[in-house]
Amino acid sequence: MKSELSVVGKSVTRFDAFDKVTGKAKYGIDLKMDNMLYAKLLRSPYPHAKAVKIDTTKAESHPRVRAVVTINEAPKVIGAVAMLMTEEGMKSLDMFDNVVRFIGDPVAAVAAEDEESAEEALSLIDVEYKQLPPVFDPLEALKETAPKIHKSGNIAFNVLKEFGNVDKGFRKADYILENRYTTSKQKHCAIEPFSTCIANYGLDGRLTVYSSSQRPHIIKRYLAGALGLPVNKVRIIKPHTGGAFGGRDYLIHGLEVMCSFLSRKTGRPVRMSFTREEDFEATEARHPFIIELKTGVTKEGILTAMSIKAVMDVGGYGPHAVGVLVNAMNNGIRLYRCPNQRFEGYSVYTNTSLCGAYRAYGNPQINFALESQMDMIAEKLGIDPVELRLKNYRGLGELDPITGDETRSDGMKECLRKASKKFGWNDKRTKRIAEGTKRRGVGMSCLSHNTGGRFSIPDPASAIVMFNTDGSVNLVTAAADDGQGNKTVLAQIAAEELGIGWEQISVSDTDTDVTPLDSGTHGSRQTYAGGIVVKKAAAEAKKALISAASEHLNVKPERLSIKDGVIYDTKNPATSIRVNNILRMLQYEDLSIGKQIIGVATGVAPSWPPIHGANFVEVEVDIETGEVRVVKLACAFDVGKAINPAHVEGQIIGGEATGIGYALTEGLIVKDGKVLNNNFTDYRLLRACDMPEIDAIIVESNEPTGAFGAKGVGEATNAGTAAAIANAIYDAVGVRVKELPITQERILKELHSLK
Amino acid sequence: MAKVKIGISVNGKCYELDVEFYETLLNVLRNKLGLTGTKFGCGKGECGACTVNINGEAILSCLTLAVQADGKEILTIEGLQNGTKLHPLQEAFVKHSAIQCGYCTPGVIMAAKALLDCDPKPSEETVRKALANNLCRCTGYDKPVKAILEAAKTMRGKHEK
Repeated sequence: MKSELSVVGKSVTRFDAFDKVTGKAKYGIDLKMDNMLYAKLLRSPYPHAKAVKIDTTKAESHPRVRAVVTINEAPKVIGAVAMLMTEEGMKSLDMFDNVVRFIGDPVAAVAAEDEESAEEALSLIDVEYKQLPPVFDPLEALKETAPKIHKSGNIAFNVLKEFGNVDKGFRKADYILENRYTTSKQKHCAIEPFSTCIANYGLDGRLTVYSSSQRPHIIKRYLAGALGLPVNKVRIIKPHTGGAFGGRDYLIHGLEVMCSFLSRKTGRPVRMSFTREEDFEATEARHPFIIELKTGVTKEGILTAMSIKAVMDVGGYGPHAVGVLVNAMNNGIRLYRCPNQRFEGYSVYTNTSLCGAYRAYGNPQINFALESQMDMIAEKLGIDPVELRLKNYRGLGELDPITGDETRSDGMKECLRKASKKFGWNDKRTKRIAEGTKRRGVGMSCLSHNTGGRFSIPDPASAIVMFNTDGSVNLVTAAADDGQGNKTVLAQIAAEELGIGWEQISVSDTDTDVTPLDSGTHGSRQTYAGGIVVKKAAAEAKKALISAASEHLNVKPERLSIKDGVIYDTKNPATSIRVNNILRMLQYEDLSIGKQIIGVATGVAPSWPPIHGANFVEVEVDIETGEVRVVKLACAFDVGKAINPAHVEGQIIGGEATGIGYALTEGLIVKDGKVLNNNFTDYRLLRACDMPEIDAIIVESNEPTGAFGAKGVGEATNAGTAAAIANAIYDAVGVRVKELPITQERILKELHSLK
Repeated sequence: MAKVKIGISVNGKCYELDVEFYETLLNVLRNKLGLTGTKFGCGKGECGACTVNINGEAILSCLTLAVQADGKEILTIEGLQNGTKLHPLQEAFVKHSAIQCGYCTPGVIMAAKALLDCDPKPSEETVRKALANNLCRCTGYDKPVKAILEAAKTMRGKHEK
């Protein structure tokens, strides 16, 4: 199959590369409109309070202020996409109340002629707060006596699922391990802060919003609901996006809704931008988890039972209270063939900044626990950790116990084999390197991550392929590109199907007035779910072209073939017509026809195939300071088929960088509901000089349901890093840290307790 | 307070501007001159998205007051290409797919430009240190570093000819 492909599998230049290296690419933050107003949010100074009275009179009389909106008028949209499934759910997307639930929760918004005046006017708003008792710890929040953060209580969602018989499974085990793990509140840290939207409400009742959302069609529906507008009256245009990673999955809390209300009040375009501090303190972050994991295993290393209890802190609001917990369960349960599994999970409100979608969506948390535990099992049984994984992972032809979805492509073995070889696992494992106070160690982890949302949420995708007279093509899709490069990848898929060059395809910008329904860029789904519909739409267009040529040449369509821009009769190649000639004839030449060849496809992907991955890490730990340096990382990911290998490598290395940060340095420090590290000095991301040598290996298992065999990649790449690092640290210094991030302090503390 | 008159050269073009004494160069570039290629990321000099070259040095424009730039030559990402011809750094970033969201890219390229102008043959370690001011959340720095090393080679080749 490989030799037949001409565009797929090539690292072609990304479409947006030129605009991005010349400074021409316009991001939300770069946009301006004539007669535009500037908006700012007044945020709550309290973690939990009732805004009993919000007096905006003084602010409104500021000479340069044009409008003020409060939470009494504008709803908080706390929707999850699954709520769109029912009428009841749609009605309850919006929440109206005057309670603030975390420090930084919006109370009011001001639109003024300039940003400084808007800022000034915020201090003129008098809010009378009645403070309510706060609760910051999810375990405290679960108690009967805890203050209630929402009317329904503090449990946003809970789930209990059991497969097989867990108690019996534990009785069959030779060893049982039980541990508690906690994970941190990692922030996305997109370099363009999560903000900047321009809402422009026209007096014709149409609202146009420039927003960097990952899901333009979903937020179109949300905003229509929030403003009581027919859905066709809302238009979302997506500019270039300076990083998303899940943080722009739905609406940004307080951003688009407030901006739209201000625009409707003034009839003018209104722009709102957050500072970096606002981004850190009041936009979504990764959910911290507390995980109690109990694993039963035979002395041969076969898992007999697994019980997971997870408490997930969702913060003040829970737009992903269901999704992230369920995805943690799905990926946690699917990874290993264990016949007896139980998952008990609680999503719990606390008076801290809200949590949401973040690259790998619940998987990094659960994987940290699962894969730390597997390492302990391997040590206890004296089995090579790689061998232990090979014995237990759920492979080809096996069914996901939750959804019944079959694993149709399985690159796990190849991932483990290739990455371990590249890393030198067998060699490095047996060597003990110590120099002065530095100790080296190695560790590994594996993972699987479902592509897209096929079995849990509405997940439509659509594409339109339109032929131009010269045989070139315009591809229309709402597959929002946040920088991953999916527009280029989708063009490659269309080009391959049509048998033309990728540069003969242009891909539309995302504009919901024009681009058909797509559930957005989430769950690493665009190459897979987007790819499937793009391939179908291209096939439809090709069919229509052949059919037109068949009529023109008077040859049956099944006898026609296209090659090098010519449609010809396979039995009599002299009977032929050039593609551009027939297209010109159809569009312009024959005045009685006048039509364009268009292919359309819309629908959901048939599966959510697991992306497999393996990480091998070498660390160096300083036993005097507790400092950890990641020396080397070799990783392999089974992406089905790499449509654009350079993009895939970019995803892998970038994801691993986020994973290393998650393991070692990152996490919001929240004290009494207040974020203490709201800047890049106190919140430490990896910098260029902190990066280890990374070997990124692509494995291609050919997913039969995907376009040209493709699955996804993006999210899997940071799902397994933390456990591999934790395991390497243990190997180096004998310290097992079960809390993320694994800071110097935590290592030192554990080292001291060893003494 | 009265505004201050300054004269700056940006991408070879001279501007006489009235600025507030507290106004940052970043604000002047983005909001007065419409050069939005230089990005805002944090406003505190921690992320490097606003990096420009001033008299050949990589400078954080969010920490530089416009009045400090008076009389100086500023180069931004918009001034790097020569007509329709990309600078070797830009070419290398395109070729190596060293871009994802692209938001940090202008700052990274401008930091690299200043480095290569004074050190035409940097080691990988030197490149990584020169980028220590520039945060990137997408790429893990690998492809940008490779692109910079290749651009250095291309630029050396040109000089040697």
